[in-house]
Order: sequence, then C-alpha cells, then structure tokens
Amino acid sequence: MSGELHYPFPPARAYRLNRCLYMIKSDQAFCARFLADPREAGTELELSEAERAALSPFDRDALVGLGGHPYLVFMADLRLRMARDPGALEYF
Amino acid sequence: MLVGAFACAHTPQLLIRPPTEDRDLVLRVHAAFARVKARLGALRPDVIAIIAGDHVEGFFLDAVPALAVYVGEEALGTFGPYRYRLPIHEPLARTILAQGIERGFDLLYTQAARLDYAFYVPLHFTMPEPSVPVVPLHVNVYLPPQPTPRRCYAWGAALGEILRARPERIALMASGGMSHFPGTDRYASPDVDYDRSLLDVLQAGRGHEMAALTAEELDRTGNVELRTWITLLGAVGEAKAQVHCYEPSWHHGNAVVEWPV
Repeated sequence: MSGELHYPFPPARAYRLNRCLYMIKSDQAFCARFLADPREAGTELELSEAERAALSPFDRDALVGLGGHPYLVFMADLRLRMARDPGALEYF
Repeated sequence: MLVGAFACAHTPQLLIRPPTEDRDLVLRVHAAFARVKARLGALRPDVIAIIAGDHVEGFFLDAVPALAVYVGEEALGTFGPYRYRLPIHEPLARTILAQGIERGFDLLYTQAARLDYAFYVPLHFTMPEPSVPVVPLHVNVYLPPQPTPRRCYAWGAALGEILRARPERIALMASGGMSHFPGTDRYASPDVDYDRSLLDVLQAGRGHEMAALTAEELDRTGNVELRTWITLLGAVGEAKAQVHCYEPSWHHGNAVVEWPV
C-alpha cells in the first residue's frame, strides 16, 4: 500500500539522505556548506555515491527514487533556490 | 471558553512570493487573512491554540510524534529572513497536556522544538493587536503512518471539551490545506474539485463526515494536512463553516475558513 502513496514511509536505508535534505532545509550553516561544495557536504554526512550524484545537480526523481521524502526533497530544493537568488522573492 | 475557530492556508509562497506565484491571488488570500485578523480582534481571545503539522522541522526522523503539545515559555523558529518568537500560554498548554493524557491521548510534549512556517504563516497575517500568546498543537501529517482521521477527530472532540471548560477566551486555529502535492509528480495538479466538494460538506455543517476519511484518500487528493482541520472539526461539532476564501493556485488550494462556536 505504502508504495502507492505520494508520501510513503521513509525507508530506513535513506535515513542519511533524508538527514541531508533536512539539514539543507533547516540548518543554514550546512546549507551554506552544501552550496559551496555539495559533494564534500554529502561526504560529511556519509552519503553514498548515488546519493551525492542525485544531489548535484539536484535531481528530484532520483532523490525520491533513493528514498528521499518528497516533501524534504521539495523544501531542500526551494531553500537552495532561495539562497541562490534571494532577489527574485517578494517578502510580506 | 472557546470563542472562535478558523482554518488557514500556510503555504510559504504566501509569505515569500517567488515569481512563479500569481501576485493578485496571493493578495486575495491576504485579504481573507485580514478578515480573520479583524474577527480575532472582535472576539478578543486571550490565547490562540493553533493546530499544525510539523514539516519535519521540530521533529526529524529521530522521533516522530503523532500528536504533541508545546509546553514552554516561548517557541522559536525561522523561515528565510523571518525570526519569530511566540510566547506560549503555559497554563493552558499544561492543562491540555495533562487533561489530554487523562482522557487517553498519549501526547508527546516539548519545551524546545522549533516551530516551522505552518505555525508562523497564519499567525504572521492574523495575529490580533495587541498580540496574544499561543499554544501550538502538533499533528503528524507528512511522515506515515500518521494518526487516522478518526483519531484526529476524537482528539479534537476531547480538546474542545478541555478548552470550553477553561476560563480563558480561546480561539482555535487549524493550519494547512487544502490540496497540494509538494515534491511529487502531481505538484502542478491539485485536486480542486475534491476541495470544493469538501468545502460544501463543511458549509452544510457535516464536518463530522471527515472523520471517516481514510489515510489513502487524504494522500490521493493531496490533503494529508487536513488532519489539522479534522482535529478542529472534532472541537466545533456540527457548526456550519463560513468560507472566507478558496483560491486555488496552479499547485495549491488556498482556503481560509471560519466556524461559529
């Protein structure tokens, strides 16, 4: 059943990948390190080669395929885009 | 006592608008938020109890609570350039926690978890002036297995009883919804028809029917977050909803709703 859900149970094998996505989203210092050197940041969190490759360039389908939680994939991507181009945003 | 009940969209694009978002639509949702702010000003709550789903911010996979109560002096959070610090109504928070557990709900509590934008966005736009303290109430919406709609409704019914017995004037707010699919292939296809049919049900005062929804249906229609609304519906019973706005964007059904209590 869970395989058919848009938001499935995050598989245990993807814990480190999801932690990386969470830290890009929620840890500004890590996000800055990731922006400066994504492969090194992935190594810091002991990600696999496939996981590091999916993060740079950011590949949503590959990340979800590896067990990345879709919401975390979405928000990590949004935070990276916000950091790269803050001038494009309107703040209320 | 319970003096008001509201549901508010919280999509972050309402607070920080990228060029992909229709500015006029965003401003129409802001106008609905302004109506809620005016209503809260008239209702004069002493505290706002806000039910939201943590977006893997306060709770990562290290520990995933189904239902939680923030019981601290204040709650902190950040989103983009925003830094927020929300005073907590500690006596009410402790009462909800203690009486909730007494009634059989095994609530987690936290004095330090960070609050994400699901809590902040509605309060940013609707907090009355002068501002009032809050009680953040967490429902797991994104990390399955989530609490069932039936369980959320039962918790809301107990919560409503707890709030009605208190001396404070309490506004209850559910944050989230409606249909959206962030991070999935369906992101650009929210289920607007489903949202509209649900709003018809709520306007008819048949909110209790949402307790019978299944986890699969909520996921299939992009409405996992409506567990926060269903919790609120347990508290407001068969009150008929007044829809302040339903503004579907290309990816999100933005709704602002009020229930008389």
